[in-house]
Amino acid sequence: MASALLLAGSTAFGAGFQINVQGLRQIAMGGTGTGWMWDASSIFYNPGGLARMKGIQAYGCVQFLVPSTQYVETPTGSYSARTQSQVFTPFNLYVGGRLRENGKLAIGLGVYTPFGSGIKWDDNWEGRYSIQSISLQSIFFQPTISYKLGDIVSLGGGFIYATGNLKMRKALPVQDVNGKDGSAELKGNANGIGLNLGIHIKPSESIQIGISYRSQVNMTVKSGTASFVVPNSLASNFPNTNFRAELPLPQVLSVGIGIRPIPKLTLTAEANWVGWNAYDTLRFTYDKTTPALQNTKAPRNYKNTVAVRFGANYKVSDGFALMAGAAYDPSPVVNGYVSPDLPDADRVILSAGFSWKPVSKLTILGAIEFGNSVKREAQYIPDNFNGTYQTKAVIPCIGLTYDFR
Amino acid sequence: MKKSLVFISGLAVLASCKPNLHSNTPTANGLNFSNYVAVGNSLTAGYADGSLYRSGQQNSYPVMLSDQFSLFGATNFKVPYMPGEYGYPSPKLVLGYATDCKGNTSLSPVPYSGVADTAGSNTNISTQGPFNNFGIPGIRAVDYLSAGYAVIASSLGAPYAARIFSDPFARPIDELKRNNPTFFTLWLGSNDVLGYATSGGEGSPIPNHPNNISSFANFRDGWDSTFAVLLRNGAKGVVMNIPDVTSIPFFTTVPANGLPLDTTSAAQLNAAYAGSGMTFHTGNNFFVIQDVSAPIGRRQIKSNELVLLTLPQDSVKCAGWGTLKPIPQKYVLTTQEIQNIVTATNAFNQHIADMAVAQKIPLVDMNAYLKTIATGIMFNGVNFNTKFVTGGAFSLDGVHLTPRGYALVANQILQAINTYYKSTIPFIDVNKYVGIRFPM
Repeated sequence: MASALLLAGSTAFGAGFQINVQGLRQIAMGGTGTGWMWDASSIFYNPGGLARMKGIQAYGCVQFLVPSTQYVETPTGSYSARTQSQVFTPFNLYVGGRLRENGKLAIGLGVYTPFGSGIKWDDNWEGRYSIQSISLQSIFFQPTISYKLGDIVSLGGGFIYATGNLKMRKALPVQDVNGKDGSAELKGNANGIGLNLGIHIKPSESIQIGISYRSQVNMTVKSGTASFVVPNSLASNFPNTNFRAELPLPQVLSVGIGIRPIPKLTLTAEANWVGWNAYDTLRFTYDKTTPALQNTKAPRNYKNTVAVRFGANYKVSDGFALMAGAAYDPSPVVNGYVSPDLPDADRVILSAGFSWKPVSKLTILGAIEFGNSVKREAQYIPDNFNGTYQTKAVIPCIGLTYDFR
Repeated sequence: MKKSLVFISGLAVLASCKPNLHSNTPTANGLNFSNYVAVGNSLTAGYADGSLYRSGQQNSYPVMLSDQFSLFGATNFKVPYMPGEYGYPSPKLVLGYATDCKGNTSLSPVPYSGVADTAGSNTNISTQGPFNNFGIPGIRAVDYLSAGYAVIASSLGAPYAARIFSDPFARPIDELKRNNPTFFTLWLGSNDVLGYATSGGEGSPIPNHPNNISSFANFRDGWDSTFAVLLRNGAKGVVMNIPDVTSIPFFTTVPANGLPLDTTSAAQLNAAYAGSGMTFHTGNNFFVIQDVSAPIGRRQIKSNELVLLTLPQDSVKCAGWGTLKPIPQKYVLTTQEIQNIVTATNAFNQHIADMAVAQKIPLVDMNAYLKTIATGIMFNGVNFNTKFVTGGAFSLDGVHLTPRGYALVANQILQAINTYYKSTIPFIDVNKYVGIRFPM
């Protein structure tokens, strides 16, 4: 009865959902972490470096991510909207290091949240038929093993088990006698597996080089639930049903280098190649379909990206260091496919932080990251939803490490 | 002290992390909207669901436009509002449940059964005028020069001019002269073709009857005179051309091959019509229609011919219409009739385009735009098309638009104004308005 393709819109899990905040010192240094080894967060940044850890370290940190996005209609600017304020708290826990101080083998476990965020617009906003709110949460579990081949080269690898959930809501363009929209809510648990591999090279005390590769993780929602609120006369057209969807989280190849020109100063640089083109199409397959509720295939057409990052660490005293960094993270979303569930744009990131060692085995870390997307005038062709977007995010982070050796 | 400074600077940092996009200030670029007048027919009046009612008028495209124009100063846009929501003179259509001759109940347009809040609808309110929304349902371009139009129209079931004219025997053009627009929209001429089309192309022997296509000369005289009145004080404006009515749901909903037959009925019809050249098979078949020019006075409808939405479905389902009883001609547009409509529409539109160029007034090609709706257009995640009921743009009468449909039209007009006059008037959020209302 009601026209098909009501759900042909969109859902995105992508660049905006990738949060490169898996270690405090690395956040503070522009996100660089593949080259220079600092602590147990190597489990994420470069498992090859874990074997450099002289003993077991426990590491925990939490970030407070407060993104804010503004939309202005184009071409006439007749309408503007802001996302509702939300705080996301990605966290990272790592335990790992060499089993014996002079051994070659290190093991570890990382529990971290590399993808997870969301966006929430007012329910009545102009883009409500594309998205009202969406959130993706994921937790990666990564048991890791690392081996020091010699003084110069060490290798490592981890197996990733990822679990998470997604939830999205949007309005349906079917109205009741009072003109009230219908609505759709889709939610489900997702999981997937992957690998995180790395090589760490330390030719001298003042140079470190790292290469890491994190494989694509296909997060599969095997049996999500789709529920609809529509006028009774249309209820049979929108049966509540289960759905299946697959969300590829992209592979990332990173190459980083760190140098220590003077003992107090460490400089790092890094590039990340991200295989976003896996996110070509987003499909939702429903167990029950009707002429109004059809399986959907939303084109995404993401392109691969290369992010570049730079950082510096200055050791003010034995127990205190300051860090700063900058990064440029281009958007994988091509023009024509910038959707309001993920109004992604090239991002410029500035960051700073400190580390402080009040007692011998304990280090307290703090960092703050400012992420500004450049203003982007964009279209989402499948929904013909056009506007200018800008996103800003401030991410304060706090954490600590404890050395058991 | 120091702590509070840290706190304040912390807040400042957080506040600076909200994006701050500015949108440009709208500009009229010298256009004067202080007295905007909309001239047209039912589409301009906000007629919908087969009738005229208050909320339909409130959601007419001229009211939407005047809302946007009011950004540049007061417009005092006067609308001859009906007293209520019932519809006048006949009740509006709403979606409800109807049971057919076979006892099957389904969702379909039914007459509104709410309170008849029509008291006062036939009272003349011309003293409240002149009205800025001068959309008069049913009016044709040719009627503008016709003295006594209000009286004649009332006798034909369109009492709208009689409600607002100060003199029932005046020519509409003289009533229009009571307005002194600074800006106008002119969307006139659809009814010079539509009455012929919605009566199945049968025409009327009475000259100048609304069921006939207007002669080009009469159309030209009426349209040009109206245009000249609007332009007389140097007003700016836009003109719209005539949509090709054959692509609207009124003509595209009932398929020509909408006759389902089982094997037995197909065989019976083949036997009954043996030698006539008509053939039937199991499945969907082309209806049998009345055609006096056919050898046996009837024939099967051709795939490109159109069946009207008003075809009584119960007569098809239970009284054998379209099979042994041919569908009467008044429910069908034949190839020739469609050709008559297209030819007239093209001629009228060519004239409108020529006049727009001559008077340096922008033309909105509504004919082309409504054809894009036929193939489907997307606006902010909502797909609009000409499918009856579900298409969202056309109301339940299959001819007039929903509030969302009228908003799409208003945006086309705004775009034309902005382009031609180099103004930056904000567009309308189409989805702020309602499409089709589905029952609980």
